[in-house]
Amino acid sequence: MRSISARPDPLDAVQRLARIVPPAARLWPATALLVGDTLAGIGFAAGISGAVVQVAAGWGALLPWVVLVVAAGMVRGGCALLAARIGAEAAQRTKRGVRAALVTDLLARAPGGRATTGTLLATCVDEVEALDGYVARFLPARSAGALAPLLVLAVTAIASPIAAAILGITLIPFVAAMILAGGAAAEESRRQFGALSRLSGLFADRIRALPILLAFGGEQREAERLGTASDDVALRTMRVLRVAFLSSASLEFFAALSVALVAVYAGFNLLGLLPFPVPEKLDLARAFFVLALAPEFYLPMRRLAAAYHDKQAAQTAVERFPDVLFAPPGVTVAALAPETAPRITLTDVAIAYPGSDAPAIANVSIDIAPCEIVAVVGPSGSGKSSLLHLLLGLAPLSAGRVTIDGVDLGAEISLAAASAWVGQTPLIIPATLRANIALAWPTATADEIEQAALRAGLGPMLAARGLDAPIDARGGGLSGGEIRRIALARALLKPSAVLLLDEPTAHLDQAGEAALVETIRAACRGSTTLIATHSAVLAAIADRIVSLEPRA
Amino acid sequence: MTPLAVLLAEQRRRQRSMLARAAGYAALVSAASVLLLGLSGWFITAAAIAGLAGPIVVQGFNYMLPSAAIRLLAIVRTGARYGERLASHEAAFGALARIRPALFRAIAAAPVSRALGFSTGEATARIVQDVGVIETRFAMASAPWGLAAAAVAGACLAVLGGCAAALAVLACLGVLLLVADRLARGLEEPGRAVQRAAGALKDELAAHAAAAAELRCYDLEGWAAARIGARSDVLGEAVATQTAALGWFELAQAVAIALAAGAVTVLAREHGAAIVALGALAAAMTIDGAAPLVRRIAQRGAVREAEARLGGLLEQEAPPVSRGSASVRPSIRLAQSDSPLAPGTRVHLSGRSGAGKTRLVETLLGLRAADRGQIWLDDYDLADLAPADRRDLFAWAPQDAALLSGTVRDNLLLGCADADDTALWDALHDAALDDHVRALPHGLDSWIGENGARLSGGERRRLALARAYLRPAPWLVLDEPSEGLDRATEEVILARLTARLAMTRQGLLLVSHRPALAALCERVVVLDTNAAHQRDVRQPLSVSIPIAAETVAQ
Repeated sequence: MRSISARPDPLDAVQRLARIVPPAARLWPATALLVGDTLAGIGFAAGISGAVVQVAAGWGALLPWVVLVVAAGMVRGGCALLAARIGAEAAQRTKRGVRAALVTDLLARAPGGRATTGTLLATCVDEVEALDGYVARFLPARSAGALAPLLVLAVTAIASPIAAAILGITLIPFVAAMILAGGAAAEESRRQFGALSRLSGLFADRIRALPILLAFGGEQREAERLGTASDDVALRTMRVLRVAFLSSASLEFFAALSVALVAVYAGFNLLGLLPFPVPEKLDLARAFFVLALAPEFYLPMRRLAAAYHDKQAAQTAVERFPDVLFAPPGVTVAALAPETAPRITLTDVAIAYPGSDAPAIANVSIDIAPCEIVAVVGPSGSGKSSLLHLLLGLAPLSAGRVTIDGVDLGAEISLAAASAWVGQTPLIIPATLRANIALAWPTATADEIEQAALRAGLGPMLAARGLDAPIDARGGGLSGGEIRRIALARALLKPSAVLLLDEPTAHLDQAGEAALVETIRAACRGSTTLIATHSAVLAAIADRIVSLEPRA
Repeated sequence: MTPLAVLLAEQRRRQRSMLARAAGYAALVSAASVLLLGLSGWFITAAAIAGLAGPIVVQGFNYMLPSAAIRLLAIVRTGARYGERLASHEAAFGALARIRPALFRAIAAAPVSRALGFSTGEATARIVQDVGVIETRFAMASAPWGLAAAAVAGACLAVLGGCAAALAVLACLGVLLLVADRLARGLEEPGRAVQRAAGALKDELAAHAAAAAELRCYDLEGWAAARIGARSDVLGEAVATQTAALGWFELAQAVAIALAAGAVTVLAREHGAAIVALGALAAAMTIDGAAPLVRRIAQRGAVREAEARLGGLLEQEAPPVSRGSASVRPSIRLAQSDSPLAPGTRVHLSGRSGAGKTRLVETLLGLRAADRGQIWLDDYDLADLAPADRRDLFAWAPQDAALLSGTVRDNLLLGCADADDTALWDALHDAALDDHVRALPHGLDSWIGENGARLSGGERRRLALARAYLRPAPWLVLDEPSEGLDRATEEVILARLTARLAMTRQGLLLVSHRPALAALCERVVVLDTNAAHQRDVRQPLSVSIPIAAETVAQ
């Protein structure tokens, strides 16, 4: 995976957005409704100018125009209502797809990366929400923004070509101002999003580490640090807004200017006081109509500008999405699932995590025969866990070969389907003990689950609380040893050809470890087993011990 | 007044000048908008009438003043809007930067069971999202002033067409606000649903992200994605419902504008075309001036909901107060142990996995509620000493070797905030980690990743050990300090720990299954093995036995 560069190419962000929001987003009804809103606006202008002209002519002449004013207002409101609804539905479809893809990537992420959980959460939840305004508001507003002003211009030209020309001329400096201010705002917006994301990550981390902060009395210092980070976000946000508001101010200025110029022109034309000859002579109806219509010219663009921040937010967000989301659909991941214990051969294997300075392991060659038990030992940091992750496709193979019964284990193939795992951070779900164990093999019978639990040394817990004891999401009330045993019970429950054990006896006392080592020895029978361990007792059950040299 | 209300009031006071400036600008914007359109309408109509009346009337028509006023108003409106936006956001962000740390302090100061019960997803949602909603409250504080100015300007212009016209404009405005209020009440539940759904999604994500290898092995990635996807759908539906509901506000606004303009036209028709034009356009802009307030009303539910959650976070009983205080170097006495553990004693806490050794350590540190009659410091029951007061007594290396995301230095300074580099390197040396840190690209300032993800398990443990060494406390509490380390490293650490203890005269509470480390201890306390499996045991029973028995057990 390519790491995200510090200054992403804006074109890249545009392409990414285009890929994320498929043509199937079905936004044209929303655009049509916004154009409908402009048509109603023209009706409103016609109604009010008609009413002003007919004021003196009495009720019968006045009423139809007043009715037109009110009806046009209602149509406008109805268009806005429906456009919001259609936009929201399209946004929901887009976000749903993006979030599903992000989650898939999140679960396949190598555990050695730099991003913190808080940052990943912000990406999956908040930054995906940042697409909402882009799809629901910006995209329909952009399409309508191209069509609707032309419509207004055409209608104005029918009433007064000169007024239409005035509107058209104010557009030129406006577009220039938008381009200048918009580019700067996009850059600032990117930086601000980065700061907000870091702030979110910092908070999540300090909440996670609250026990040690409390124990060391560090909570005040950290509160101050969070204050500094918040100040930083405030500073960046203000910088974004100063520019963003400037671009909207320029829009307002030209909108107001166009109204003022049309008003002054129409007034002088009616008075016959224009200092230059014009080929038209306005009457009140036409003059008032173009005046009432003038604000409509800039309205679609003001709507677009109001949604412009949505676009910037979305662009910033997609730049922070992992690249894998934008890769063309790859080949289907092939699961390698040998029925019987396979031969696993590693030849000159190296693992280097992206963004890491040195490879986790390098030049490792091990040939594991079917049903052989191999203990991988070595000092802390020698890459024992990475070796196990490699077989599951969770760590990148940067050099060498891994073959399973002679078949290459590339990036697209992993041994996961045939493997059982006991790791250092077992998954605990808020459910019963039974449900927690059954995760590994959902079709297991009650008896099989109980046997697995007993074999994993959960006997005392079964006796005290039973299989249906509820467990909360944090594993509260369970000791570290008990959580390990639940993970072990899972591994024993799943019929597997390969067993991967990552320090399965850590945190157990000697008597407990001895009992468990016997269980593991029995469980390993019939599986090709790889055990990463420091325990001499556990390593002793292996047919062979491979020592990973510490990396200099 | 609730603590949150106090906090918000304080921030409003601090940002008073910015908020006042925003309010002034908002009023200027609304008044200028109403006057601009009204004046333009009048100018054109009056000019048309004058043009029809012939050259003499045209000569008498003062066109300079209105046309200059129109241009001036256009500029004033634009400038004031820019100023209003800057001032209100400046106030909002200034306030936020104070509110966030205050909330973190509140979480940290809550009773431990609650403080440590927060899931990271939930806490982040509150501190980042909920506080973001509060921001809206500050940013929109100027809306009523804008509305008031629009109403005054609109009524002043409309009254030229008669009192009835002015009243009609104000009535439309009033009805719009009432309708918006009703709509906002209907929005409260969808708003709550969005917040709830976002928090639940984050929690679900956090739980699964940590267990990637297990999920992959048991083919649970699809299952996990589906669980997360279900939460994501709930959030998506909630957001779509909320967004769709916001459309009703726009409908109300558009209808109100049309009604106000229509009503003024009808009611002011006796006063001539020019006044009708002025009144109708001014009426439309008056209702348009209510838009910011209508938006604020639409967000009311979300603001209330966020405030209620944050309020719950801040609301708490006074921190516990110690009854008495233990000495600077207290002895520790455990229930049913024959004699207290004198200061400076090296004690091995022994017992089966699950016997409650870690639990005992966490209780001492005030990370669990202490039961009365189980542990004493000097002669004081642990339950009588506030956790904050006794945490200074212990330098702890936790079993899970939890670290902060940050640099090596960030983590070490947690042990002793004012330690100099020499002290940091000494501690790293004693934890046998100095060579490794020296080899890192930025030494002490190297980034170690989330919870030390860039370090190996053994390196994390040694960094946690070095952090404990730095803390000048009478008791050193080491929970499995050499777990996961190879024998050679363990021996180095043991030798340096022995020397360190001889120098600092610290007492040692050691939890370890490793015989080499246990041999360092003068006394052993065996925690009762049955206690772990009893349902409601907060504190393990403990017995103290002479060192000879321990050697046999090993």
